[in-house]
Amino acid sequence: MNEWRYETAQDLDQTIVERLRRFPREADMLVYGIRALSALGLRAWLRIYHRLEVTGREHLPPDGSYVLVANHTSHLDTLGLLSILPLKRLHRAFPAAAADYFFTSVPRIAIAAVVVNALPFYREVHIRQSLNLCKQVLVNPGNVLILFPEGTRSTTGEIGVFKPGVGLLLAGTDVPVLPCHIDGAFEAWPKQRLLPRPGRLRLVIGAPRNYAALQPGKEAALHICRELRQAVLELAALNRRAGFRREGPVDQGAEET
Amino acid sequence: MSPNAALQSDVFRLYLLIVGALLVTAGGVLAVLTWGLKKNVQQVWVTYRAWLIMAPAVIGCIFAGREAMVVACALLAIFGMKEFARATSLYHDWWMTGGVYLGIVAATVVSLVADPFSGQPGWFGLFTTLPVYAIAFILIIPILRNRTQGQLQAISLAIVGFIYIGWMFGHLGFLANSNHPYGYLLYVIFSVELNDVAAFTFGKLVGRHQLRSHISPNKTWEGALGALAVSMALPWVLGFSFPHFGPVQRVLTGLIVGIGGQLGDLSISVIKRDLGIKDMGATIPGHGGILDRIDSLIFVGPLFLHMVNYFYGLR
Repeated sequence: MNEWRYETAQDLDQTIVERLRRFPREADMLVYGIRALSALGLRAWLRIYHRLEVTGREHLPPDGSYVLVANHTSHLDTLGLLSILPLKRLHRAFPAAAADYFFTSVPRIAIAAVVVNALPFYREVHIRQSLNLCKQVLVNPGNVLILFPEGTRSTTGEIGVFKPGVGLLLAGTDVPVLPCHIDGAFEAWPKQRLLPRPGRLRLVIGAPRNYAALQPGKEAALHICRELRQAVLELAALNRRAGFRREGPVDQGAEET
Repeated sequence: MSPNAALQSDVFRLYLLIVGALLVTAGGVLAVLTWGLKKNVQQVWVTYRAWLIMAPAVIGCIFAGREAMVVACALLAIFGMKEFARATSLYHDWWMTGGVYLGIVAATVVSLVADPFSGQPGWFGLFTTLPVYAIAFILIIPILRNRTQGQLQAISLAIVGFIYIGWMFGHLGFLANSNHPYGYLLYVIFSVELNDVAAFTFGKLVGRHQLRSHISPNKTWEGALGALAVSMALPWVLGFSFPHFGPVQRVLTGLIVGIGGQLGDLSISVIKRDLGIKDMGATIPGHGGILDRIDSLIFVGPLFLHMVNYFYGLR
């Protein structure tokens, strides 16, 4: 008689918190259920409380892996980007989250791992390892990686310098990357505020691009960072103009910034 | 069963006293060993701390009443089943795992509703025949999905999972429907855990000969026999739990707990050894997984229930 093949879960001997902290995580019915329910709740909340408007949804590739890159001013950025993905991609979308912030206390680990499905990114140490995790995510077809290349939430609302990690990850790979811009998140829920206030959110998704032609290296990484930041800045201008058009006249000076 | 009935039950209050006294005494002994004799018993402290949470949780469920007890057993069965599925890779098949969960929910509902023929709580007839329907249901799942590959393994694991963890363990919850719920439930849980502790203690103190060398190298004949001796004496020491029991029933109770408890432990060990794992999970610090804790109850619960039903009727 042939022996049965058992594939025992890798994290069997770990506590629940340890299991949530590790990456990749084993699929779990309960976690998937809670995540799906909270996604529905979050989508409704973003629509009603924040009047989320999305343009450029047609740019999202119907299948295959891709990367979303956006400006970062608020936790709403992550929730907004997650909410535009088709529900069937919910458990395959991984926002990279600062491990030193999201994976340190039990409530934050629970939210990051269960609700957001975050990938723990170590931005101070082991950056190489974290980038390798990101690479692994992109190897499996159908995964979505969400990156905020500024590396932290902006405290002024302005778009900061893009850290080279995103460039190192993308140079020489044919995974499409979509620049995105979220407007209104800073006003609704900036870094200093405990809870969000109601405020309109506008999200623009740019056209996909890829950097398969570039030789991986520092040079290419810096080039990609500059180009992506430029793309996000252009989307920002577009986003604000569209917003002002809807909300009535504004003074000229504000439109320029 | 209700909080009021629990407070008025002498049996419940006596067990409250015994468990409380035992926990305090055990804490005292550990304190003397740690700070008086400077022994390294760090690991035992971890196990003891888990008991400080588990014992009140169990007593709290029994205090809260029949429904709470049945639902608590169902939750333990579901999360125990999850450990089993994760360990055996049945968990990759969410349809099968979900099918077993549904079976456990069905067993819970059958334990909660009233018997349509007698009107008494708990539909005993359907509960005892539930495996027929559950196995049929599990066999239908691959047919509905039009699958064959690996299905024999999935079906087998699902059936073992349901019978062993869902249904056999479910008997413990069903005891809440009996006419002596406090005596039966508290005696079974208390004596089984004491049996485990006795086996461990005797094994540590005088253990020489391995009980089953290929299955569980740490268990010894001395530990098993010592535990059996304790379990044989216990029905007389705690006779107030079931004053209507004669000598035959007390001897049977002792044998069921003394031998059944050990067998439950060993049968989980067979599964773990075959899978090449040490514990079924890490849910309870110092104890392992849920299954590692309830393994003995899985054997003792149904045997005790059917013994009682044979001699006195459950209600």
